[in-house]
Amino acid sequence: MKRLNLPKEKTFIGPALIWKRIAAFFIDLMIINFFVLFPFRKLFQNIIPKDYSYSEAYRLLSSSTDYTSFISSVSIVISVLIILYFLMLESKMSQSIGKSLMRIYVVSDNKVLKKWQLLTRNIVFIPLFPFVLLWIIDPLFMFFTKTNQRLTEVLSKTKVVEKYSFGQ
Amino acid sequence: MNNQPDSNFRWGYAIFVLLLLSVLGFLAVGILSLFVGVNVEELSGNVALIPIDGVITGSEDSGFLFDTTTNSLETVEVIEKADKNPNIKAIILEINSPGGSAVASEEIANAVKKTNKTTVAWIREVGASGAYWVASSSDYIIAHRVSITGSIGVIASYLEFPGLLERYNITYQRLVSGKYKDIGTPFKEMTAEEKDIFQQNLDSIRDYFAAEVAKNRNLNKKDVDKIANGLFYLGAQAKELGLVDEIGGKDEVVGYIEKKEGIKADIVEYKKEKTLLDVLSDVLSRQSFFVGKGIGSSLLDKKAASSISITT
Repeated sequence: MKRLNLPKEKTFIGPALIWKRIAAFFIDLMIINFFVLFPFRKLFQNIIPKDYSYSEAYRLLSSSTDYTSFISSVSIVISVLIILYFLMLESKMSQSIGKSLMRIYVVSDNKVLKKWQLLTRNIVFIPLFPFVLLWIIDPLFMFFTKTNQRLTEVLSKTKVVEKYSFGQ
Repeated sequence: MNNQPDSNFRWGYAIFVLLLLSVLGFLAVGILSLFVGVNVEELSGNVALIPIDGVITGSEDSGFLFDTTTNSLETVEVIEKADKNPNIKAIILEINSPGGSAVASEEIANAVKKTNKTTVAWIREVGASGAYWVASSSDYIIAHRVSITGSIGVIASYLEFPGLLERYNITYQRLVSGKYKDIGTPFKEMTAEEKDIFQQNLDSIRDYFAAEVAKNRNLNKKDVDKIANGLFYLGAQAKELGLVDEIGGKDEVVGYIEKKEGIKADIVEYKKEKTLLDVLSDVLSRQSFFVGKGIGSSLLDKKAASSISITT
C-alpha cells in the first residue's frame, strides 16, 4: 500500500509568548520562595508577629539600626541566592524550572550563553540603587519590543524563545 | 535565531541546585547573625531580660572574655532597643552586681526611668550600691531572701605608698601648677585639707545617691539618710525597710509581669551582641595594648598617678 507524501512536522524558534514568560516567572518565584527562602521565612516569622499589619511590621523593623542593617544584609543575600538559582540552571540547561514547565528557553544572540550574559539578565534582582529602577522599566520593555525582550535581555544579548510547530 | 535551544532539562540537577541554595540560605542566616550582631532570638518574645552583671563601668575597655562587667553605654543602648520594640511589654533587670562607677550607675538608672515599659529589678545574689541605684529606678524590685542589697554610700579609698617609694630611694618630684592638681596621687601623703575636700565631695555624691533612691522609691529622704551609711542588708531586711517590694525569684518576677500586663510572659535576653568583627578587633587592640604597655608605659601608670576612682 502506498503512503501519501504528507508534509512532515516543521518547527521554528520564535520569541516566547509573554503570558508563558510571566507564568514561568511566577512558578520560579514560588519554587524559590518554598525552597531557597525557607530559612529566611522562618527568620521573618520569628521577627514579626502573625497579627502584625505591614505598617506595624515596618515600624518594628525600622525601630533599630541593628534591625535595618540586618534586613538590608538579608535582602542582599536573598538576591544573591535568587541570581544563583537562575544562573546555575540557565547556564547548564538554558531553562529554569518555571521555563522548563512552560517549555521556553533562554538563548544567546551569539552561539553560547556566557556567564556575564546570564548575570546581566538577572541584575534586576539586586535590591540596591540604581538596579531597583529596573523593577519597573525592565519588564515593561517586554511589551514594546518585537522579540518580547526585557531591557536586561537586550543589554545581555539574550532572548527567551519557544519552539513553534506546524504541519503534520 | 542563532542558537538552537536544548531541551535537556535534568530534574536531578535542578533538585541539586535547590538543595544547595537551601543550605546556603541556612548558612547565610547564621553568618549574618555573627557579622551584623543581631541576636535573632532577641527579635521575638514579649519580655526583655537585661543582665546587670559584675562591676558597673562607664568605659568600653573593661571586661574582656573572662571579666564580667556591665558597661553603662552598652546597657543603655540595650534598654533603649527593648523600649523601642513594640513587642516588648516589660523589662526585667537581672541584677547580680556590687555596684561600680557612680556616673555609669546613674546613666543606667536614667535609661530605666525613661522607658515606657513596665520595669522590674530582680536582685539575685548581689544588688548593692550602684546596682541598687539602678534597681531603685525600676517600677518594682524583687530580691532573693538572702541576697545582698542596699549599701547606699560612696567609696574612693586607695592605696598610698610614699613610704614604699622612700624605702627604695624613689623620690616623688612634685611639679604642679595648681595647688590641688595632684590631689589623690598615691605617691604622696594626703594632707588634712585635701582629705576634707575629698570627704565633702564624697558626702555630696552620697547625698545625691540617697536623694535619688528616696525619689525613685517614693521614700522619705530623711529615712533614707538614716540607712544610707554604706551598710548592706539581706533581702528580707531590705523588704522590711522598704528598699525592695517583694521577696522572691524568677517565678515571682514573671508572676508580677503577667498579672500587671495581662500577658503570658515570653522572656528573651537582651544584651549587646559582640559580632565576630568586634571580637577580632578586641583581640587585636588588646594585643597591641599589652605589647605597648610591656615595652614602656608599665613604669608609670598615668591613670593611677592622676586620679582616684569614685565608686558607689
